[in-house]
Amino acid sequence: MNKEAIFEELFRAIVEVDEEKAMEAANELVKGKIDPLEGVNKGLSKGMDVIGERFEKFEIYLPDLIMAGDVFNAAMEVLEPEIMARGKSVAKKGTIVLGTAKGDIHEIGKDIVAMLLKTAGFEVHDLGKDVSTATFLQEAEKAKADIIGVSALLTTTLLGQKDLIDLLKEIGKRDRYMVMVGGGPASQDWADKIGADGYGVTAKEAVSVALKLISKKGA
Amino acid sequence: MVSFIDVINRAWTGPYYSEKDYNLKVFVPKLREIVKKYKIKCDPENVVPCDDDLADRIFKAGVELYASVGTYCVDTQRIIQFTEAEIREALAGAPSAPVFGEGKDAKALVARKPESNTAPWCFLGACGVAVSSEEIFVSIVQGYGEIPLADSITAPSLATLNGTAVQAGSPLEILACIKSVVLLREALEKAGRPGLPVMNSIATAVSDQGKIAGSQFGLRPSDGWLIGPMAEMKVNFERLNEIAYVTSLGGHVVVDASPMLGGYCGGPEGAAVTAVAYHVQAILVFRGSCHDSFPIHLRTSCSTDRATLWVINASSQGITRNSHFPLFNISIIGSGPETEMEFYENAACVIGTVVSGSAGVESPGGAKNAVTDHVSPMISKWTAEVAHAVPGMKRDEANEIVKRLLLKYEGNIDNPPQGKRYQDCYNIKTLEPSSRYVELYEKAKEELTGYGLNFKF
Repeated sequence: MNKEAIFEELFRAIVEVDEEKAMEAANELVKGKIDPLEGVNKGLSKGMDVIGERFEKFEIYLPDLIMAGDVFNAAMEVLEPEIMARGKSVAKKGTIVLGTAKGDIHEIGKDIVAMLLKTAGFEVHDLGKDVSTATFLQEAEKAKADIIGVSALLTTTLLGQKDLIDLLKEIGKRDRYMVMVGGGPASQDWADKIGADGYGVTAKEAVSVALKLISKKGA
Repeated sequence: MVSFIDVINRAWTGPYYSEKDYNLKVFVPKLREIVKKYKIKCDPENVVPCDDDLADRIFKAGVELYASVGTYCVDTQRIIQFTEAEIREALAGAPSAPVFGEGKDAKALVARKPESNTAPWCFLGACGVAVSSEEIFVSIVQGYGEIPLADSITAPSLATLNGTAVQAGSPLEILACIKSVVLLREALEKAGRPGLPVMNSIATAVSDQGKIAGSQFGLRPSDGWLIGPMAEMKVNFERLNEIAYVTSLGGHVVVDASPMLGGYCGGPEGAAVTAVAYHVQAILVFRGSCHDSFPIHLRTSCSTDRATLWVINASSQGITRNSHFPLFNISIIGSGPETEMEFYENAACVIGTVVSGSAGVESPGGAKNAVTDHVSPMISKWTAEVAHAVPGMKRDEANEIVKRLLLKYEGNIDNPPQGKRYQDCYNIKTLEPSSRYVELYEKAKEELTGYGLNFKF
């Protein structure tokens, strides 16, 4: 199989959510000594873009999005050692630590944002639900995060977003991390009021905001 | 029926799966297989279906789904499983007319059938929407209590206590839960209906401790203690703790469940089947007295788009044709108080659910139930008046009316007007709505009368 055909196979494996096909194509690529980064960019990532668009249009649903992400990760397990062996690395847009605020057990929205951020090239550390302010901070330090994302679905858990920003100010680390907020009762007004750096009304918008924040940081 | 202790034992002994594997390797593939097997197909052009065979297939599919996927306990990471025979036994032995409330406000919530002539129960209230102060809390609950058609009320949640923001999981939550119950009773006494049942217990409560502690200050076994699963088909120990407490009191568990269209349920067909599975779960795991179903759309976070309306009506018909365990529905609307759209959105939901056989309707908050103080007694009064105008109507007739209503608002569904805060469209002392709000209400009523709705109130 020539390299263009392998890229096409990687692309189709993602779009068709076919892990077996992804593994075969990834192994074929390694065997053929083809640049694995090219395989990521022209095959896997291109496939994830299509998956993201289809999810946005509601042509596919949450399970398909997650399963496509799993196929991507499975193929990356084959390709990553090869990329590292060549002294390269997959270009990463940034690192984000995210979770749902303390007391809140809703996480489907946050899960979607996490998946779309991964698709967009972020290194994502998903802390899950019911995450304390201290844990957000601790995990952000550990991951050397650029952004901390706090989701909340209840008015009484929304305060966890403010709590994190207040704590960062108090310990002199507000400039170290950018903070993004989201969830049903959150709004741009709320984000402005508590001094958050970004807010996204939808998962897609959250990704755009994260990309803007990262590019602002880099500038 | 399988005992509650046996349910807890199964939470410790059932098959072990990680949560992700339960979602993707148990729930999703089984649901997809069952939707295909029963040939369930959504028709967004006819959001109030009139197909008994489809309704019955959705019910059978939901029962089969529940027998396959059970309820996932996130604390033990095990599946609480039931056999199909246990499910049949639970459905046969489920309550059919639980009595809520006290004194002259005590009343039975009676199961209905599609196209029934009997009036539905009206759950009027704030649907748990947050309010910004104790003063607003009392004013608005009194407003609900004063609506003559109210069979029960649903309370708001209290976002502040003496001006301090309430944070979930902190001692402030406990204090706010206690205060909520005290204020509820005060407001209903002011309304002259102290026996009116509160059907969402303590909306301020996020934790089990909050609900149990708050209840000591005036919640009654004859109230409805709202307890719900997590999406999809999951429960945790906090909710099971609440059930243990309420059932020991002899209280009524009101089980709210929200299959999410676009989430793990997939499309509308999967969400409809899942709604039935939740109905069975409400009896077996949640030990409910009734089931409050509110399918919701992942993208819009409300229930008023075509696909979600179909899910609500198709699943409700499946349930009410095949189960005597009372079902009611909430309509989560995108628009807020003092907007034209809230009347249309709400009527579309209420007409469909009443004609589909729901035992009752719950009035919505406003603005997706997500914005503080965006809630009003006006939409509750409207819910009740529309609900009482529907009994006796045929499903195809209702379908035509709902289609006309959809044309009025569906263009704005992605960006609905949030409307006004309660205190900006009502006089909170006299409980009178603004003249603009009254105008909008009268215009909507006239319009719906023109569509064929026979208002009795």
